[in-house]
Amino acid sequence: MNGNPRLVFSDIAVCNLKRKPFRAGGLIFLVALLSFVLFGGSLIAFSLFNGTDGLSKRLGADILIVPQGYDQKVEGILLRGEPSAFYMDAEWLGRIADVEGVRAVSPQLLIASLNADCCSMPIQLIGFDRETDFVVEPWIRTALPGALSDGEIVVGGAITGKVGDRLKFFEREYRIAAKMDNTGTGFDASVFMNMDAARRAADDFVAMGGSLTIPADAVSSLIVMVDKDYTADGVSRRMNEDFDYGNSGIVVVSAKKIVNNVSGNLRVLVTFVALLAALLWVLSVAVLAIVFSVMLNERKREFGILRALGITRKRLVKLVFLESGIVSLVGSVAGVFLAALLILPFRSYIHEAVRMPYMQPSIGQFILLVAASLLLSFAVGPLASLLSSRRIRRGDAYAVIREGEL
Amino acid sequence: MILEARAISKEYRRGDTTFFAVDRASLSIAKGEFVCIVGRSGSGKSTLLSMLAGLLTPDAGAVLFDGRDCALLGDEAISRLRNTRLGYIMQGYSVLPNFTVLQNVILPHVLFKREDDPYEKALALLDRVGIRPLADQYPARLSGGELRRVSVARALLPSPDLLLADEPTGDLDAESAAAIMRLFAEIAAAGTAVLMVTHDTEATKGVDRVLTMRSGRLAED
Ligand SMILES: Nc1ncnc2c1ncn2[C@@H]1O[C@H](COP(=O)(O)OP(=O)(O)OP(=O)(O)O)[C@@H](O)[C@H]1O
Ligand SMILES: [Mg+2]
Repeated sequence: MNGNPRLVFSDIAVCNLKRKPFRAGGLIFLVALLSFVLFGGSLIAFSLFNGTDGLSKRLGADILIVPQGYDQKVEGILLRGEPSAFYMDAEWLGRIADVEGVRAVSPQLLIASLNADCCSMPIQLIGFDRETDFVVEPWIRTALPGALSDGEIVVGGAITGKVGDRLKFFEREYRIAAKMDNTGTGFDASVFMNMDAARRAADDFVAMGGSLTIPADAVSSLIVMVDKDYTADGVSRRMNEDFDYGNSGIVVVSAKKIVNNVSGNLRVLVTFVALLAALLWVLSVAVLAIVFSVMLNERKREFGILRALGITRKRLVKLVFLESGIVSLVGSVAGVFLAALLILPFRSYIHEAVRMPYMQPSIGQFILLVAASLLLSFAVGPLASLLSSRRIRRGDAYAVIREGEL
Repeated sequence: MILEARAISKEYRRGDTTFFAVDRASLSIAKGEFVCIVGRSGSGKSTLLSMLAGLLTPDAGAVLFDGRDCALLGDEAISRLRNTRLGYIMQGYSVLPNFTVLQNVILPHVLFKREDDPYEKALALLDRVGIRPLADQYPARLSGGELRRVSVARALLPSPDLLLADEPTGDLDAESAAAIMRLFAEIAAAGTAVLMVTHDTEATKGVDRVLTMRSGRLAED
């Protein structure tokens, strides 16, 4: 049996769409494309904002001291989890601690693992000093109140394995003592161990044919916390003056500058995405308005007949809005759904592709984003109807019927 | 009088000049009366009918339906009137392509809220015009004569007080046309006023009155 004989008013719109599946499908596709870009773009932008936010919270240090030439590498470690290994003389520890305005200094030893069986790519091993550390410590203190023995590690959120599992680096097994939450930063792909364990790992690395021999008393970087009466910029400047900037063999890196660089890049990206979305929105309204105009013109006789059958002007307009509303709703939901399906499970690929801290929004933010995207893209259909339906909202019905005949 | 037209006119523009498609036409039809309008092509018959149906506003004069001046009714009231008390079969095809034959017939019923179920009545009407087997077909598959009969069934669904029919037998064979005429005569006998435009002089034989339209002027034969 064709069609439902027990019609209700809204079925008129549904029938009209169903019987023109190609036309309806095309319009739905257009709206879906819009909501896909709106939602997908804002989801990625939001994740990037979250990541940057997480970075500035996680960084903890005000200043980083690294060997000259490695200031770019340290950004790679922090932002993207690109492993590096380098070192400098440990005597810098004392010299930095003596600089006016420095409240705390802690050494770190960085080793890049070879391909480990836990992970598809090399990861960053970070040796830290539990006595003086103020960056990693706060995050693991609750999870790990006791000491971190030489055979134990703390892993970032992106490392496969749970507490109690064993991971192998340079042929030596380590037990996962704690696992950190995901932050969207390079820390997620890092493994933390105590200083002694890290030195032993560096030796293991050499024993396996590694190319970088780290002397026994060397450190890779120093993290610095500034006294609250001093600014990080001021202390950095003093360090550069004290240690003959450019010839000392070290670089003073401002942590704030790293974050600022990231948020600067982010702002450009977000502006670009926002512009693109706005353009697409206007374009969608315009295209739909034109398509609807053409359609209404072609359907004049149909509308004239409905008028002759006694549909009021108001309900005819309602019918037109109902049709565009259905198109808009189906398209919006499909677009948002598809974007979520494509973006949510592939966050690590996106993280790699954008090379910036990336952290997906919380449930609350997510719902807000969905609602905003749906609303914006849903508005397109009725708005286009409003722009194109002027002709049927006034004038004699008979004129419309006559025009429709020709 | 169910319908009364008092000197209604419609002026159209053609190039630089204007002319009256309908020129001070007056008529009145009582309940149960069967009236035909004949006239040459272009004489203004369809224009007159659309004004009587309230789809076109006359430039002058007044249309009274059941004693009420249509010009004074708002869109809601005139639409309801068209929907519930008037059957209008327009010239040419007026079947909606996206609905089945049965859905087309039921369509007027869903435009205003009603309690009763039109289903049985619609099927009975399709039976009466002889196309019940086509109830579930879409119009694209129907012949011209079958489409015409769908419009007839649809116009009769609300049991209208007045039926306006613009060449309803245009593309029907003699036998089908005669059947439609019999149907109209029957509903007229049951109390519906019928005003029909036709070119078929044979068809006008049994009706109560025949009016002739000439260049917009309406005259009783
Ligand atoms: N919108 C319009 N603008 C200008 N002229 C029009 C318009 N509509 C109709 N006309 C003219 O008005 C006259 C009457 O048209 P109408 O359709 O009423 O004729 P008719 O008697 O129904 O003809 P037919 O028997 O061929 O259907 C015609 O000459 C037609 O060209
Ligand atoms: Mg005509």
